[in-house]
Amino acid sequence: MSRFIYILLFITVLGCATDNGEYEALEQEENAITENPLLDFTVPSNFPEATYDISQNPPTEKGFELGKRLFFDGQLASDGVVSCGFCHIQEFAFTHHTHITSHGVDGLIGTRNAQPLHNLAFMKDFTWDGASTFLDSQPIIPITAEVEMNETVSNVLNKLRNDPNYPTLFAEAYGSEGITSERLFKSLSQFMVMMVSANSKYDKWERGEAITFTQEEEDGRMLFQAKCASCHAGTLQTDQSYRNNGLPLDPEFNDMGRENVTGLIEDARKFKVPSLRNIEITFPYMHDGRLSTLEDVLDFYTDGVTISDNLDPLLIKADGTLGIEISQEEKIKIIAFLKTLTDTDFLNDDRFSEF
Amino acid sequence: MKKFIGLLAVAICVLTSCKEDESSSLNPGTLNLTFENRIAESPLILGETYTNTSNENYRVSELKYIISNITLRRKDGSLFIIPPEESYFVVNQAQASSLTINLDNIDAGAYESVSFGFGVDPTKYPIQSGTLNFIPTAEETGMLWTWSAGYKFIKFEGDFTSNSTQEESPFLIHVGSHGANLDNYREITVPLENTIDEDFMIAEDIQASQHINFDIAQIFDGPNLISLENKSDIQVDPENAPKIASNISTAFSIN
Repeated sequence: MSRFIYILLFITVLGCATDNGEYEALEQEENAITENPLLDFTVPSNFPEATYDISQNPPTEKGFELGKRLFFDGQLASDGVVSCGFCHIQEFAFTHHTHITSHGVDGLIGTRNAQPLHNLAFMKDFTWDGASTFLDSQPIIPITAEVEMNETVSNVLNKLRNDPNYPTLFAEAYGSEGITSERLFKSLSQFMVMMVSANSKYDKWERGEAITFTQEEEDGRMLFQAKCASCHAGTLQTDQSYRNNGLPLDPEFNDMGRENVTGLIEDARKFKVPSLRNIEITFPYMHDGRLSTLEDVLDFYTDGVTISDNLDPLLIKADGTLGIEISQEEKIKIIAFLKTLTDTDFLNDDRFSEF
Repeated sequence: MKKFIGLLAVAICVLTSCKEDESSSLNPGTLNLTFENRIAESPLILGETYTNTSNENYRVSELKYIISNITLRRKDGSLFIIPPEESYFVVNQAQASSLTINLDNIDAGAYESVSFGFGVDPTKYPIQSGTLNFIPTAEETGMLWTWSAGYKFIKFEGDFTSNSTQEESPFLIHVGSHGANLDNYREITVPLENTIDEDFMIAEDIQASQHINFDIAQIFDGPNLISLENKSDIQVDPENAPKIASNISTAFSIN
């Protein structure tokens, strides 16, 4: 009797596997699951919901490692040198310091300051003017921009296909042969989505993790709430809107910002309200990096705001004068608070390090 | 013994579930969609001079557009959706082979219409929509904007003269979507018809094909009148781009 059961069990297990091919595929799938585990993407308890649809591209160990390798690989640029990581340096929260605006291949200088990379899974759209609506397609811009990596996606794929390592790495990450643009961008996204910075002093305070602000930091927090948080709103300090903050137009760049994307005159010179996470170490500041210190930034908001047709109304005071009323003493306190946004765990996290 | 019968039942279920579905006796077939770019009733010829209703004489040097998300509607109303990742095409007037889109592995049956997107649906998540693998094609055909991670849905260029300027000046019309702000993607449906009055059948061994006419003149002279003298460089243009997209959506027909 028991032999009968075993035979039947065998038939049942055999199931639909009518040829060996299907059997092998099943085995491969199992191996893929055991050898390429999913990474744990957890939304920090004090964070808003992720905007990135993780279910469409769940980060795996191999996909993440591949994305990281691609991120730091100069082959993505025409000169073989200027990788993503060239302008996005981890110790500066993935921005860079050496130039005001970022430079690309052949020493060409761009018109904008590289933005830090962190908490990208929580952003609605990308770049200073929102020219990319999805994280997965954002890298097209730096890869193809003449003043950045000046390469074509097709040629990047050709280089990767001819590389001794990438064909294996792509196969390991996705369970089958093939280097496609979808896999290229999915891998980069897997790497970037995992870059969650949520362990600053501010985060711990917000989550109620036995941490106290100094009196100066707490005063700064209250001042920030009152004077800055209408735009720099929420846990990530951005309402993700585009605003003209009154920076005088730099005739060298004549950068119209959001208007380039929407074509709307009312969007002229509007730029995305940036998150202030790790702001202490992401200098220089503003879309074109024209301000080098946090003191400069606050001085700009008290004394430097200039009028234009669509200056953000929040920067026009009741008496018609421009800017935000902040005393010298208050500025010191606000900066003390801003420094609580620095997340040294993130800046030193080995998972994101090139070496 | 009960256990034995139970297992036997499971085994039979598993084994029988492997049988091919025999309800459809015909094998899948192919469909060729051929886009014929026209000016009114005549085939468009690059470099030839045409006149629009604004009395402007124009010559077309380049015409490319993106066709996507092809869906076939069966006679019974159900849909056959071409897998998204295989459903993005650039039609280029200068390249004859690009004018015909070959679709294969379509369920056999009687069909009544075909729907397609003009451009790339910007509301869809790139991975879901299958557009990420379309990037190299779009790039090689010049249908990507370099400053933005977005697509030109149509690239329509040439030169023109008008009543006031007899000197030839260039025109350039690139319509796409503007970030999440303005969606110029349009969905178009045309019937599938036979010359003989029978069902439009797709199946193995049937040469199913449909000509789809795109009347380029409608870009200027559709429901919204577009005058090149008024504006000859239309790119990220929140006023004119949606007007052109609407004109285009009425410019497709069969016959």
